[in-house]
Amino acid sequence: MTYAYLFKYIIIGDTGVGKSCLLLQFTDKRFQPVHDLTIGVEFGARMVNIDGKQIKLQIWDTAGQESFRSITRSYYRGAAGALLVYDITRRETFNHLTSWLEDARQHSSSNMVIMLIGNKSDLESRRDVKREEGEAFAREHGLIFMETSAKTACNVEEAFINTAKEIYRKIQQGLFDVHNEANGIKIGPQQCISTSVGSIASQRNSGDVESNSGCC
Amino acid sequence: MFGRSRSWVGGGHGKSSRNIHSLDHLKYLYHVLTKNTTVTEQNRNLLVETIRSITEILIWGDQNDSSVFDFFLEKNMFVFFLNILRQKSGRYVCVQLLQTLNILFENISHETSLYYLLSNNYVNSIIVHKFDFSDEEIMAYYISFLKTLSLKLNNHTVHFFYNEHTNDFALYTEAIKFFNHPESMVRIAVRTITLNVYKVSLDNQAMLHYIRDKTAVPYFSNLVWFIGSHVIELDNCVQTDEEHRNRGKLSDLVAEHLDHLHYLNDILIINCEFLNDVLTDHLLNRLFLPLYVYSLENQDKGGERPKISLPVSLYLLSQVFLIIHHAPLVNSLAEVILNGDLSEMYAKPEQDVQRSCAKPSIRCFIKPTETLERSLEMNKHKGKRRVQKRPNYKNVGEEEDEEKGPAEDAQDDAEKAKGTEGGSKGIKTSGENEEIEMVIMERSKLPELASTSVQEQNTTDEEKSAATGLESARWSRPFLDMVYHALDSPDDDYHALFVLCLLYAMSHNKGMDPEKLERIQLPVPSEAEKTTYNHLLAERLIRIMNNAAQPDGKIRLATLELSCLLLKQQVVTSTGCVIKDVHLACLEGAREESVHLVRHFYKGEEIFLDMFEDEYRSMTMKPMNVEYLMMDASILLPPTGTPLTGIDFVKRLPCGDVEKTRRAIRVFFMLRSLSLQLRGEPETQLPLTREEDLIKTDDVLDLNNSDLIACTVITKDGGMVQRFLAVDIYQMSLVEPDVSRLGWGVVKFAGLLQDMQVTGVEDDSRALNITIHKPASSPHSKPFPILQATFIFSDHIRCIIAKQRLAKGRIQARRMKMQRIAALLDLPIQPTTEVLGFGLGSSSSSQHLPFRFYDQCRRGSSDPTVQRSVFASVDKVPGFAVAQCINQHSSPSLSSPSPPASGSPSGSGSTSHCDSGGASASSTPSVAQSPTDDPTTMEQPQPNLLDQLVIVSETEAGARPGKSLAKSADEPVSLSPSLIPAQQPTISLLCEDTADTLSVESLTLVPPVDPHSLHTLAGILPPPMPATEGTGTPGEEAGPSEPAGPAQH
Repeated sequence: MTYAYLFKYIIIGDTGVGKSCLLLQFTDKRFQPVHDLTIGVEFGARMVNIDGKQIKLQIWDTAGQESFRSITRSYYRGAAGALLVYDITRRETFNHLTSWLEDARQHSSSNMVIMLIGNKSDLESRRDVKREEGEAFAREHGLIFMETSAKTACNVEEAFINTAKEIYRKIQQGLFDVHNEANGIKIGPQQCISTSVGSIASQRNSGDVESNSGCC
Repeated sequence: MFGRSRSWVGGGHGKSSRNIHSLDHLKYLYHVLTKNTTVTEQNRNLLVETIRSITEILIWGDQNDSSVFDFFLEKNMFVFFLNILRQKSGRYVCVQLLQTLNILFENISHETSLYYLLSNNYVNSIIVHKFDFSDEEIMAYYISFLKTLSLKLNNHTVHFFYNEHTNDFALYTEAIKFFNHPESMVRIAVRTITLNVYKVSLDNQAMLHYIRDKTAVPYFSNLVWFIGSHVIELDNCVQTDEEHRNRGKLSDLVAEHLDHLHYLNDILIINCEFLNDVLTDHLLNRLFLPLYVYSLENQDKGGERPKISLPVSLYLLSQVFLIIHHAPLVNSLAEVILNGDLSEMYAKPEQDVQRSCAKPSIRCFIKPTETLERSLEMNKHKGKRRVQKRPNYKNVGEEEDEEKGPAEDAQDDAEKAKGTEGGSKGIKTSGENEEIEMVIMERSKLPELASTSVQEQNTTDEEKSAATGLESARWSRPFLDMVYHALDSPDDDYHALFVLCLLYAMSHNKGMDPEKLERIQLPVPSEAEKTTYNHLLAERLIRIMNNAAQPDGKIRLATLELSCLLLKQQVVTSTGCVIKDVHLACLEGAREESVHLVRHFYKGEEIFLDMFEDEYRSMTMKPMNVEYLMMDASILLPPTGTPLTGIDFVKRLPCGDVEKTRRAIRVFFMLRSLSLQLRGEPETQLPLTREEDLIKTDDVLDLNNSDLIACTVITKDGGMVQRFLAVDIYQMSLVEPDVSRLGWGVVKFAGLLQDMQVTGVEDDSRALNITIHKPASSPHSKPFPILQATFIFSDHIRCIIAKQRLAKGRIQARRMKMQRIAALLDLPIQPTTEVLGFGLGSSSSSQHLPFRFYDQCRRGSSDPTVQRSVFASVDKVPGFAVAQCINQHSSPSLSSPSPPASGSPSGSGSTSHCDSGGASASSTPSVAQSPTDDPTTMEQPQPNLLDQLVIVSETEAGARPGKSLAKSADEPVSLSPSLIPAQQPTISLLCEDTADTLSVESLTLVPPVDPHSLHTLAGILPPPMPATEGTGTPGEEAGPSEPAGPAQH
């Protein structure tokens, strides 16, 4: 499966905000969220198409490694994009954004694209953080913002893809040195590594079927 | 696609999810598996989907129905997974399986379910399965799988992974084989896994022994070599750099080194003593000492041994001390740097840290004799026979490495045996290593060999630190000497910056034994009691400061800031400051120089004010963070001046006049703040605008008698409000009437006039466009408009009035501030009628007052006394006050540019200023030697000053003239010493206030002041006179007005 670029993402945010679920929801649609079952994963990869270019997204969840400073540090540095996630039903996860962001800014390259995500938008009744607050925070810190629901898959696709678009735009502006893999961007191999007939990529197409109509 | 895969599993769309998540469905899936034991092109998708569904059911079962796991176990379904894996089933299936496993282990919440999955050793079989690691996706899923497993490690689960009897710990040993994988995410995962393993091993002795005895030495030696190789590459990058072209690569290498240090530190703070000993030993003796520390000395000597350049070594050592706080390590390292002896450089086994460790080591940076993979296998198969090779992502390279001659192999094994079994302590010093390729040590020096062996015997069982303590007196300290020497460099501060960082890092290191630092009199910051400090260092620091204040100084701002930090750390105690007078005098000299430097750039231009305030903001908002500084690779390259490199301003030299001005301002701020702090005085002048002095939104002001212009404000977003525009001294504000009090107004908006732009509107003579920007809070953020609106007035006359008032107010506000800067720089104020009267005559001086004083003085504005007294109490216009002061003294000074001698007779003791003034007259080293009077001269002014400060609104500039007036009789005499040019007294024992007073006057005699302007001043002189005289009492009167303001709100 060949690709033009590979972007490495990390997902950060407090525990329990649904990072790994977002990740699984994006990388493998077949794990349909069911109300009595939450499934997450710490690593995932998926191909997306941006401006007619095949781009592979590799997403690394940093969960469970917060206690080691070296690990968080390195993760930040190796990523081109970061999804900073909070839970709209728990204010404290929103309050911690500042320190997450500080960490991210300190350790990452200045070009890293950070997307702020208010997750669990399906739980409107228990909402504790207003959408406007998220928007304001994002505006203040120069982030892209979205509210998503890993459960209903609402906006999940967009969150990852918009981040990729932004990275792609920065590449085209020459802000990223694509030849330096330390930036979390890799130029794809010129040909397929293995024969993959309707493998992962085709399954991922299932995402297109899914309706992205405004649920949030 | 989605639908199709569902239907394959027999679920179909009709089935509800409840049915899919059920034991029955699992049974069905089991059936599918039994029917498809061989992977073919045809059933591949079916199998993948089946595996995926099983995962889902298992997780569901974990949370809802335990019978699911029973069935899974009973039918040994894991075997099917393994079976599928073992067929060359291709990447697609492989990835799916790994993903499934990831999901399974990630989401299982019940311990028992986890045990089910881990039992029967299937997981270990998967761990050691020969995946195709050249495929990046498989590699990524595989390492994530190991990482997920490592996160599940705990006291109970560890037995599923570590087998005490067979010495198998696949999870750990398979993971560390990828420690130097080219893909950074893989390396990070490996580090995570090892850290998780070490954390668990704390409670598991057997496992700990296994890790230490079988894996620690191979892993750490390879890791240390890996780090060292990067360091050499880094050094190479610095050495071969031309025109800063290597910066991108350099910053990656630096970041990589930092990653490693943080990783090592993370291991060390797990605090597993066993491991720490081995790791510390390797780090010290295989990396830090031989490669970093020994490179400090003897750049030309040392023969073959690998070395790095001095700046790189200082830089890296700073990083080490900033990051790693493990006491045994940092103390041993510091010991060598601070007390190290040359003889230590030459091959001596290290005892002090690794007594408990079996393997003795030699201080050298050498490549491990075999690859990690090989060592691990050797260890594992010690008892057994064959070495099983597993495919690896770098199979090709490995072959070469391992294709060694049989003889060499034997040699390696011998080495190995010795290494692991211990026993050979000092023997390994010479002969053997030469046979090993890549051994590069300073062994070439034969003369040293003799002394080395003697040294060894002597110290083998000794506490080395004790030895060094006793003998330090006669030992030379080459490393420390070098450290000090690097501070001396007159040409630039390339090395000095690193030295300062190193000293800073060492003294701030939590693991450091304070005694170590005390030996070089470098106190730790927290130390309460200090009586003495390192004079050698202090002098060098002050020299750097002095150098920085020179017009062509080659000291970067970062270096200066760090010098200030270190000096403060040395001499400031909780109770006061122990700096010697002579040093303080030198420092004052440097500060004076910095004043001169800024004066040189002081211009009436608008931009100077903005720069001045901006520099102050950025200095206070972004204080030096040494750790961040040391993360920046750009300082590794020789200092440069051009901003085209993108290097931060504080880390390079200035380019062009603007930057030179900025730099001069910064130097002035830093030295001023240092000087104030060392003398225990508060800063009262800066920032020029204090938040608390400004009118804020919702303040309620008495606007009786104020000029108010009604207008309609249309904001950009279309909002439209009726407001009154009022112009204050520094601010413009929009108010609306206060409903509760007639004539009062509530502030709805207030913005600084200095940041305002007013433009007319083309086709509307009644309208103005007004924009006020908030100054950028950081260099990265954009200036943010806090007001952007169109103001519409009732007619064009009012519009013009408003425009004029705003425009003038802006000029006025800026001029006021410029005058305050001039006062700070002891420059004479350039008087203009506009300044004094705002073009509206004397009564309008009240206009300069902030509104908060209006309720006191507005009404009485006809009464000049009150007005003036209030005026005198307003600290916002010290420039004004100083100007008056100058007027007073200008004539005597002019008439008698008298010799210093005239100062002495009147040193009647009635004022301390005269004393110190007289002292400064003789200016100079001699004074420094008689510091006995100095404490008194320096203390005396302070009570004095304090009184005045309280009364006269806490500004120094305000205070000084007041004081001078009080002692007007003595003043003229005390002036003359000041005629000593300010440039000279690099050593001057003047205390600050005197110095300033003096130099104010001294400057009146010097250009740029036009003598005529003094005359002009003299002409204006009379009116202000009574004002200043009234300072004392009316000042008190005005005092209450300050709290009165807030009270009304």
